[in-house]
Amino acid sequence: MVQLGSALLKGYRGGHVVIRFALGGCTNRPFYRIVAAHSKRARDGKYLEQLGCLDPLPNAHGEKVAGLNLERLRHWLGCGAQLSRPAEKLLGLAGFLPLHPMTITNAERLRRRRRRAQESDAPPAEGGSQEPSAAV
Amino acid sequence: MAALAAKGAALLPVRLSRVARALWGWRVQRGLGQDAGPAGGAGAGEKRDAKPAFTDEAVQDLLYRMTGLNLQKVFRPVRQELKPPKYRLLTEAQLQEATRKAVVEAKEKLRMPPVLDEREPIDDVLADDKVLEGTETAKYVFTDLTYATPHRERFIVVREPNGVLRKATWEERDRMIQIFFPKEGRRVIPPVLFKDEHLGTVFQQDRHEDILNMCIAQFEPDSADYIRVHHRTYDDIEKHAKYDLLRSTRHFGGMVWYLVNRKRTDGLLIDMISRDLLDDATCLITLYHMLHPECQSAKEAEEGKLHGIDLIKPNSVFAQTEI
Repeated sequence: MVQLGSALLKGYRGGHVVIRFALGGCTNRPFYRIVAAHSKRARDGKYLEQLGCLDPLPNAHGEKVAGLNLERLRHWLGCGAQLSRPAEKLLGLAGFLPLHPMTITNAERLRRRRRRAQESDAPPAEGGSQEPSAAV
Repeated sequence: MAALAAKGAALLPVRLSRVARALWGWRVQRGLGQDAGPAGGAGAGEKRDAKPAFTDEAVQDLLYRMTGLNLQKVFRPVRQELKPPKYRLLTEAQLQEATRKAVVEAKEKLRMPPVLDEREPIDDVLADDKVLEGTETAKYVFTDLTYATPHRERFIVVREPNGVLRKATWEERDRMIQIFFPKEGRRVIPPVLFKDEHLGTVFQQDRHEDILNMCIAQFEPDSADYIRVHHRTYDDIEKHAKYDLLRSTRHFGGMVWYLVNRKRTDGLLIDMISRDLLDDATCLITLYHMLHPECQSAKEAEEGKLHGIDLIKPNSVFAQTEI
């Protein structure tokens, strides 16, 4: 029998190993697998190794469950793998990496937006009712 | 006992196979090695002499002798798939050999589960990032899935919505470890049966041994639920004097240890004497003296060098002071 295995393996030009999320699950029910794969592969395609998983929907106890195989993660990072932005943010939340700057920026933007919304709610209420408003 | 096993148990599926019990036995050894129950491992030699621990050789020997070895009860039919019985023709010598092997296997099955102190709650904050306050609605639980780390040393951390990164509590740890590394016979969420209001129904059906087996499969030996269920079971047995239910099972030693530590051995002693188990009675009194050397009967026994049957003679000090 003629062995054709290596001839059938996909050979890429360029590309590198990334650690990213591969989406699985069903309609309206996402589930991410944290995966080390070639950057040129399809998002949900063949990967080198699965390093963990993340369930983005909270469970009955109100927690989002995530598993990370830190030993293998360290191995791939040592081999020169890059991280996708959501993966970096998740590892920052986990404490494995420092917090991602965009996480902090987005948190501050959200806080500023909420404060502005609160302030814009308060003056029209004061102006409209013409009453001394209680402390908001 | 056969009738009980045959009863359609809607409440208690006796799912615990011998495989699971053997697995638990292996984990028990590891657990004992790692945790070195605080009762015994408090370290210094003089402390050990003053307060014998559950794991001491002498104590284990006494408890094992009291447990008894009723082969019929140990190897009674467990609910498993139905196979026709196999009959073999043996000579006298072969029969003795088979009995000896059965005794060795029974000894393995009668290995007592550990008795540990309740574990200290974990509250350790690793980081506090106040910037993250209000960004998330639910907490994240991160589990380290490295295959080679023991479960006790596994990193399980929780990032709360207010930005605090803390170590997970024992309940969260147990749940996560069961999700990612499932163990046979254990559920992610503990069955409702272990709540106090439902234990009463179990006790009415005389299924103390089954609930204790389920408890061993479900909980860690130093968790609060394990200790609570065990103590509730022992209290019920002592209240209704149903000691024979646990005799010749691996829970008997734990029950005797519990009763002797709380000085509630009267019913057990009377039960042993009424069943003509005088050796067991002497073992019980010896254990009592080992654990409470300051009591009067212990001092008398020490002076008079009483051994064996003298300890329980009706005019002995033990009968007068303790019962």
